[in-house]
Amino acid sequence: MNRVILAVAGGRKTQSIVDDCKSCPEDRRILVLGYTIASQNELATRIRAAGVYGHRVEVMGWFAFLLQHLVRPYLPLLYEGRRLTGLNFEGDPGRYTKGAERFLDSDDRAYMLHLAKLAHDVATASNGSAINRLEHIYDEIYIDEVQDLGGWDLDIIELLLRARLKITMVGDMRQALLSTNIRDPKNAQYRKEKIFDWFRLMERRNLLEIEQAPTTYRSNQIIATLSDSIFDPSLGYAPTVSASTETHKHTGLFTVRESDAIEYARSQEALCLRHSKAVAKHLDLPFITFGVAKGRTVDHVLIYPTARILQFLADGAPLEGLAACALYVGVTRAKHSVAFITDQQLPNLTVWSRVPDRR
Amino acid sequence: MITKVIIQGYRKFRSFSIAPDAATNIIVGDNETGKSTLLEAITLALSGKIDGRWANEELNPYWFNAEDVRDYLAAYAKDSQTPAPSIRIELYFDSEDPDVQRMRGVHNSLGLDCPGARLEVVRNPDYDEEFAAYMADPDRPDVMPTEYFEAVWKDFNDMPLSRRPAALGVSVIDSRTIRSKAGVDYHTREILSSFLEPKERAAISVAHRKSRHEMTTSALNGLNEKVRDGSEALHDAPLGLTMDQSARASWEAGVVPQVENIPFAMAGQGQQASIKVALAMKRRAESARTVLIEEPETHLAYSRLHKLIDRVETLAGESQQLFVTTHSSFVLNRLGLDKLICLHGDTPSRITDLDESTVTYFKHLSGYDTLRLVLATRLVLVEGPSDEMIFKRAYVDRFHRYPEADGIDVISMNGITFKRALELCTRLDRDVVALQDNDGTPVADILAELTEYLSASRKMFVGDPALGKTLEPQLIKANGVDHMRTVLGLRTQDNPDTWMPNHKTEGALRILESPKTVVMPDYIKQAVEHFA
Repeated sequence: MNRVILAVAGGRKTQSIVDDCKSCPEDRRILVLGYTIASQNELATRIRAAGVYGHRVEVMGWFAFLLQHLVRPYLPLLYEGRRLTGLNFEGDPGRYTKGAERFLDSDDRAYMLHLAKLAHDVATASNGSAINRLEHIYDEIYIDEVQDLGGWDLDIIELLLRARLKITMVGDMRQALLSTNIRDPKNAQYRKEKIFDWFRLMERRNLLEIEQAPTTYRSNQIIATLSDSIFDPSLGYAPTVSASTETHKHTGLFTVRESDAIEYARSQEALCLRHSKAVAKHLDLPFITFGVAKGRTVDHVLIYPTARILQFLADGAPLEGLAACALYVGVTRAKHSVAFITDQQLPNLTVWSRVPDRR
Repeated sequence: MITKVIIQGYRKFRSFSIAPDAATNIIVGDNETGKSTLLEAITLALSGKIDGRWANEELNPYWFNAEDVRDYLAAYAKDSQTPAPSIRIELYFDSEDPDVQRMRGVHNSLGLDCPGARLEVVRNPDYDEEFAAYMADPDRPDVMPTEYFEAVWKDFNDMPLSRRPAALGVSVIDSRTIRSKAGVDYHTREILSSFLEPKERAAISVAHRKSRHEMTTSALNGLNEKVRDGSEALHDAPLGLTMDQSARASWEAGVVPQVENIPFAMAGQGQQASIKVALAMKRRAESARTVLIEEPETHLAYSRLHKLIDRVETLAGESQQLFVTTHSSFVLNRLGLDKLICLHGDTPSRITDLDESTVTYFKHLSGYDTLRLVLATRLVLVEGPSDEMIFKRAYVDRFHRYPEADGIDVISMNGITFKRALELCTRLDRDVVALQDNDGTPVADILAELTEYLSASRKMFVGDPALGKTLEPQLIKANGVDHMRTVLGLRTQDNPDTWMPNHKTEGALRILESPKTVVMPDYIKQAVEHFA
């Protein structure tokens, strides 16, 4: 049965794919798809490190997959005489371009912007051949970071779910910071964290089973509980359970006065995070944005909060959309402590002061 | 498994296509009909190489079809924008193997959704200007400048292939190669190394490198000291010798197979051929393995050929697809006439619907020269050598030249039944005239049995039983006893009626060579007249 495993941050998503690749029978042909180059590299490295050799497990990027296995073999069936020559990363055919020119530039490179739609059109034009070809080549397909997909990607996944292939998707919609094609109006209602609704739709169609894996091996329970509270409970996420057994002398949730921020970052070796480059310029700290921090694990984080984050911390009203995802990513980087730079007093957060016992 | 081969513009083949048998294909044809070219083309598309070298390095003006080039040059004179000739070789596969399925797509000339490989030689767009300049030069030779062309090797998924896909195996066994000093030719080396898993190969390679290194540190050490002492005066840095560690010194180059402790290259050529076939066909099963054998009969005595064909026969088909070129009727009969592919220009003919019992019949009578039947375009089937000579005499009398001069092959049946031979000719769609003794059977009865094989271009002529059961009485009846005696140069006391049946061939020879007029029986006259 096809599955989507909705894990939490620190839930060892990638590791579960690596473990599956290692434990499956040797002759299973497995394709592992990652969305970002970083995630592909990590998948490839860890699969190899786990001692899975040979070509039966293959790691590929989502775009490469669309090009190589869907567009390339059957493109002439959709646009006669056209042959794929590559990928046009940045080009834009213009909003009103129709026909082949909407998808292929003058050198027959596919626009990344509309690649998923092209792949879907070619697969449709092939009258099932494209999927049949995949069924002959692979037994199973894993899709990592599935929350990053959207638009026409979802229709392609539906084709895969209907194929004689075992599909396993792993992701965490709460970390949906990237999206293949934000301008794609297709499936707009399932954008970002709402992809959960699409999974539920697929589940109702008996195409997959949703599994929640709410255990984090990274953050302690205090941080895990804070991360849960960012989202509206009606979204249906299972409460995160911490399985972390590590302890640390500096543990918990803190506020740090602006005047103490540099000292805090230095003494706790905290990872400094902010929403965008445009904020917190007045503080001389090595900030990185939430998006860039994705995938990292640290002991402590120090966050420069937006007004909305402060509001959330003050009254506990859940955040929505990108703001929620961004904060979730930020908070869940930490194993032991999360601190916010603010001079306000906030409920449930301890005000940090320069180590009193040193005085 | 290859289900279709399409060749366009390559050497003999202007627009050639064939659907080979899944197990065995025996390729026959006159000289210069492209038997080797067909195997070469298959190898090219399967491996991207020809004789072990990349197609791009071997591009040759004579790869282009001569007629294509001629037509292009003629068209170019009128319109310089005429597209230049190109070469395309396509192999269509039928295999469920996942690795073969990766080569699936619709990028082939038939637009079929199918796995496959293709090799094309096309104009290299980087050299458009140079090519135009070349063509515009009034003093240019009438050959294609291959420097401005490139060989492009891709699968049907339009992905360029850089080395032979793991799923496709190809072994080329060319018994005709003369003994080389290198010991083992390229193809045999390929066959040998494919015996090994990549890991095993790496292990051997490492061991070989170690042993070469040991040579440097031990045996060469003494020599190095001497060289060093002597060289210091000539050169600042001390010189030394070391074993070659480059690719040229790979273990493959230093390893040769041996047979009963005799190195392969020193074995007889026949034995070499047998070993090559045995090696090629014994390999671990891989999907879509193609075995190409050129003229296995070369260098082999009958009994050895017999064994070899036995081996080929048992191994073909399991997981290997076999292509054999041959000039030997024995090979053809043994591997099965129904597997025959007869090359003739761009339209190869295959025997379809040949009766199973006929295939078996010729397998048992494997000595019969079936190839002559197959290769002749117009032929005359006669019972034996005496009929052959009489027919020739009749033909010469009528046309003043031998039938061979008109491309007519006169073939003795030598015990093969007319029915089997005519069936074969029917399937091959050959023009044929058969001459048969009636042996006392009414003509209508004989013809009735053969109706399905007879037509305007396939005729059977039988002597009237009233004029004699066999050729000899027919001849005597036509010429009279006395004249026959003179033609045969017999003594007066000799009676042609008894002498002729006892000296059939001798008599026929005397008639063939006799300066005297000979009246031919009507059925022979009719047969000759068929060729008028």
